[in-house]
Amino acid sequence: MYERDISRRDPGCVVFLLDRSDSMKQTWGNSRETMAEGAARALNETLLELLFTSQGEPGKARHYFDVGIFGYGLRPVAGGEGVEPAFGGKLAGQPLVALPDLRDNPIAVRETPSVDVGAPPSRVPVWVEPVYGHRTPMCQAVAVAGAHVYEWASAHPDSFPPIIINITDGMVTDSPYEGAGLDEWAQRLVNIQTSDGPALLFNIFLTPAGSANPVMFPATDRGLPAPGPDLFRISSLLPPPMVANAHSTGIPVEPGARGFGFNADAYNLVRFLEVGTKVDVRD
Amino acid sequence: MQIQVVTFSETKDGNAPDEWQDGASGGVAGDATGLARFIVVDGATGSFDPVRWVDQLVTSFVPPPGPRGAGHAGPRLEPAAMRAWFAQMQDQWAADVPAFDSIIEERKFREVGSFATFLGFEITGLAGPDPRWRAVALGDTVLFHVRADRLIATFPPMRPGDFGSRPAGVHTMRSSLDGMTERLLAGDGVLADGDFLFAATDAMAEWILRAAGRDEAKVWQTLAGLVHPDVFARLVSDQRKEQDAAKRMKNDDVTLMRLRMLADQPSFVLACR
Repeated sequence: MYERDISRRDPGCVVFLLDRSDSMKQTWGNSRETMAEGAARALNETLLELLFTSQGEPGKARHYFDVGIFGYGLRPVAGGEGVEPAFGGKLAGQPLVALPDLRDNPIAVRETPSVDVGAPPSRVPVWVEPVYGHRTPMCQAVAVAGAHVYEWASAHPDSFPPIIINITDGMVTDSPYEGAGLDEWAQRLVNIQTSDGPALLFNIFLTPAGSANPVMFPATDRGLPAPGPDLFRISSLLPPPMVANAHSTGIPVEPGARGFGFNADAYNLVRFLEVGTKVDVRD
Repeated sequence: MQIQVVTFSETKDGNAPDEWQDGASGGVAGDATGLARFIVVDGATGSFDPVRWVDQLVTSFVPPPGPRGAGHAGPRLEPAAMRAWFAQMQDQWAADVPAFDSIIEERKFREVGSFATFLGFEITGLAGPDPRWRAVALGDTVLFHVRADRLIATFPPMRPGDFGSRPAGVHTMRSSLDGMTERLLAGDGVLADGDFLFAATDAMAEWILRAAGRDEAKVWQTLAGLVHPDVFARLVSDQRKEQDAAKRMKNDDVTLMRLRMLADQPSFVLACR
């Protein structure tokens, strides 16, 4: 299981569930940005990294991945509380987008100051914007995304299994949803599989300013306050390729480590996404 | 002593022939030095325009005959000279900025760059009694020295489990120059009449090592007996389809350069088109 390389013939699928509830407006750590801004920035960086992988020959991007982002909480397009695809611009409303289409359709390219003194500003493509409002309908997010993941897996039976990464700062507010709790919805999601194994569900819990030390890829939920144990329980075991990613990123992981992060700051969110989305490509 | 050289290659299954991202070149210098020089490299799929980077490395290490290679001899296989060559290659890459069609392409060129595993080797003393091979390498492109169907040297000293997705290699980014210099490996050996040298990129090299672990004589006889690109293509195709995963060849670009050491001129030459 989890041995298949990503290729144009057997592309991968990465889906992000992005908490857009009202609490994401809180300032994040000792930065000057909100958690919504930090999460959007980390996602845009991760999309850029995925596009780097696909950009081999000049002038064209290879279709190595289909990517989805589902925001839950405030729905900026439909209005009110719920779940909707979070891409902006020409990609608005699309649940899964092939990398070549993503490459060609950022909302904007913005200049940000370089961290190197004297260096020119960095030009950063943007696909998702920070918004927040309402509560945290996480079950509905898993349900909506799961339907698209199921369709994708049916169409790509020999691909590396779909990867779903849930970024949240809050307690689920819609459990049970349509008669099933968060555990049940998560189980339904990881019951989706390809010939290379079940879908992977990873969760990372963000914490606003002044919080405790982050926990990355733990093998136990011992000592974690709520909602840590609940999110740990529904998180998949880290498969060998991602254990290797963690090691190469300098994160020690023990046997039984799960795709779960708790009390993450901006730095750890980026590292978590890096570990969870890096898969070898072959052709 | 004479060298009979042939290079076989196959692209990844599912890719077009022009998407082959390995490179190989070499031959005997056209002077009286008795020196022959060879390179085999494997461009990384995830890097920026690996075909261009591979072409740059190959044509610089083994300058082609004619005006394109005039005045160049390639680097000496010494650490300082190799470091200088790596830096020269990086400068050349950075100076030749392509036209970008997107911000993603531009940022990948500047921040990620290109990458290839590298094996360079030369054979000296062809005109004397003590011919030798000498090699430098970064990564998992491997040189096998075979005598009488027995492996007598593997360079770099790889085992089947050593092949991974993050090998060392030659990178375009200047920040990697120190690391490349530190990780550069060197090796050498003495050649005799009838010896073979096989230089193989990773998928082929890993398959060779696994096959040699089961029946060494058979694998060397098979590779020594390849007489036509179609035979090589059939071998690769069959091994990629092998049911037993432990024996299966990875679906990747494969390149195999074979050098046969001969005391005399070959009795015949087969030309393939």
